[in-house]
Amino acid sequence: MNSIFDGKLRVLDISMGWAGPLVGQMFAEMGAEVIKVEDTHHFDWWRGSLSMAPPEMRPIERAAVFNTANRGKRGVTLDLASARGIEILKRLIEVADILVENFSPGVMNRLGLGYDSLRAINPRLIMISMPSFGSDGPECNARGYGNTVEAMAGVTGLTGYHDGDGQHYTLSNALGDPVGGLHGVFALMVALRERARTGRGQKIELAQVESLIPFVADAILDFQFTGKVPAARGNRHCEHAPHGIYRCAGDDNWIALACETDDQWRSLARAIGIEGLADDKRFTDASARKANEDALDAELSRAFSSVNLDDCVARLRDAGVIAAPVNSAPAVMADPQIQSREYFVAIDRAVVGTHLYPGAVARIPDTPLRADAPAPLLGEHNRQVFAELLGMSDDGIAELERLGVIGSSPREYRMG
Amino acid sequence: MRYRALSDVRVVDLTHFIAGPYATKLLADMGADVVKVEPPWGDGGRKLGPHRAGVEERGGLFAFLNLNKRGVTINLKHERGHELLVTLLDGSDLLIENFAPGTLDALGLAPEDLIAKFPRLSVISISNFGQDGVERDGKLNDLVLFARGGWTFPVGEPGREPLTPPGSLAQYVAALYGAIAAMQALAARDLGLGHGQHIDVSILEATVATMIYETVTFQYSGIVRGRAGKRFAVGPFLIVTLKCKDGYAGLHCVTDKQFEGLCDLIGRRELASDPRFNTALNRMLNNEAILEIVEAFFIGRERKWLYREGQRRAIPLVPIPSVAEVLEWEQTRARNYFETIDDPVLGKIRVPGTPLRLTSHRGEASRPAPRLGEHNREIFSARLGLSDAEIETLKTAGTI
Repeated sequence: MNSIFDGKLRVLDISMGWAGPLVGQMFAEMGAEVIKVEDTHHFDWWRGSLSMAPPEMRPIERAAVFNTANRGKRGVTLDLASARGIEILKRLIEVADILVENFSPGVMNRLGLGYDSLRAINPRLIMISMPSFGSDGPECNARGYGNTVEAMAGVTGLTGYHDGDGQHYTLSNALGDPVGGLHGVFALMVALRERARTGRGQKIELAQVESLIPFVADAILDFQFTGKVPAARGNRHCEHAPHGIYRCAGDDNWIALACETDDQWRSLARAIGIEGLADDKRFTDASARKANEDALDAELSRAFSSVNLDDCVARLRDAGVIAAPVNSAPAVMADPQIQSREYFVAIDRAVVGTHLYPGAVARIPDTPLRADAPAPLLGEHNRQVFAELLGMSDDGIAELERLGVIGSSPREYRMG
Repeated sequence: MRYRALSDVRVVDLTHFIAGPYATKLLADMGADVVKVEPPWGDGGRKLGPHRAGVEERGGLFAFLNLNKRGVTINLKHERGHELLVTLLDGSDLLIENFAPGTLDALGLAPEDLIAKFPRLSVISISNFGQDGVERDGKLNDLVLFARGGWTFPVGEPGREPLTPPGSLAQYVAALYGAIAAMQALAARDLGLGHGQHIDVSILEATVATMIYETVTFQYSGIVRGRAGKRFAVGPFLIVTLKCKDGYAGLHCVTDKQFEGLCDLIGRRELASDPRFNTALNRMLNNEAILEIVEAFFIGRERKWLYREGQRRAIPLVPIPSVAEVLEWEQTRARNYFETIDDPVLGKIRVPGTPLRLTSHRGEASRPAPRLGEHNREIFSARLGLSDAEIETLKTAGTI
């Protein structure tokens, strides 16, 4: 079966980290030919640091995050500080449909790669720029990554324990990055459709922070309605109780559960043998439980502390209570639903061997997405890409290698 | 803000609450003709908070999630309602829904039958666990989704319970996968790869998809990341939320250069070559020691000063704003990011604008979210050709 863009679309990905590379990776899932361009001096910083292991261990080929976010791409290197490197990049852009970049604002112009000059050599080119905070405005030059974007979008300010001293916490997954990348993919799909109609490409700008703010629209509106900044709620809910995370027997085992109705609360109490509490007048209905939530949580913590997590989850689910273990990474991968839909895919990647990687999310029956090709080694496809796409001879490629314009080993040992 | 890039795309929107409506909002903001179909008693999401005092019928989130859509009411359990929906699907490109799996089949609207009948139509289903699998029909809410999908375990204090992320963030992530899937269906069809398709998006899998730090990293390293308190993790970096004089600041210090900048900021340049901290590996081994030094410095400084002086040294260091500050941030102001909507029920509200800035089209003002059945007449008479008398009869029967 064919993927959507098999043989029909070429994406040039000169981005680094997660947000930009995710865009390229998702186009690779759709069958597009995706070429990742790195610099041997300034390779993608998500490859991590050369100083983390001895050179013969090839530490920059062992970064799990890089090897995930760059799957299915061909990898080439170009020294973008040299005129030769820029010239070759422009020749690649001439034959590309999409260019993905997430440099700081102004860098592309400084490299002579502003959209206007690229449009002149390829009017069908769609270029997406993904600066953290936008290409204009007084703060456009501020540095930001997934976590800083998450903070500036207002997410971090809402994250904290209900009884904390005001301490905020960063989410576990640098949410600004994947959210920026997903919006980028969506924007490019819109632009491709537009190009099919008009024959013209365009430039799209996506400020990563602006793609995450909509996710806290509820809190932003709450502030407008009440004049008060919503407080961090921790694991609690504004109406329902119990609604929390409780420790079970064992080392670091936790159950997350929520009762959204009085019936569910009574079922919970029966399922774990604390029927007496269901009749306790402090806990009979939602507003009583909410008013006495500290006492309720203390009772539940006591009740759960000696029970087995998996048994307990099974019992609660049978009783119609919304519940799950608080899964660590291996537990996520062992989740029965995740397993039964075979979500993870095994990929054998040079240097690191075979591991399981998250699969494509959308299940598209006739034109399936494919997430099962490995990430490239640094400069792995130099010869192939430059010969195939630009018609370079073996001698010409060897000459570029000798000049240091391309290469397949990092140019100096430095912290990534 | 909306662009008319997708003005030739017709969407029948059978979604409710958050994940579905945000997916169709993304399409509507790009100009797709989205007709939101609700039962005559309305999408349950109409009553989601936050609420303006005294207004229960429409919450703020509904007014945001349903911008740029038109709204009709149809009772799909009535035979005539069923017919109306099928007529609406004739000539549509997409049906997007987030019912529990099996619901469309039970309504006599099985996606496979619809696609057979209308070969240009694709059906996008967004559901908690996907359309199949051993626990397809389980229950879920945000707290339990975050926990099950792996976001929660590594967040919070090491000695305390894991801390859930706020709000419904993962629902929005799933919505993005749904909106992309809609565009993928259109692309496959328009490239001549076949007729419409039924695409299955699982909210749980969308949640897990954004956990690559965890699921792949632990296989490589053999280490399961635990809770590191105010730090993102203990690693060869310092990514941390720090208390300062007037609130909290977020620091993201990863590279050698950023660490040198940080040492300069705190007036301790010698630390950059200190054998405890001079390499990434040493900074990981002595992470507590750096944290202590940095904490002691931050507590005595104001956020604004830290932001300015940190950024001057090219360190990704930001104040942690409240949502009120996000709304007033000079950067969002200068870029006209928030849009003021004159909502028919809630009055003037400021909502996040579309993050996508196309240059092929001019942005236009958004249309407020529809009142219940606001466009019944417009859609049923102009598009489906019903007479006024027929519309009245349907209304009386409770079909619309």
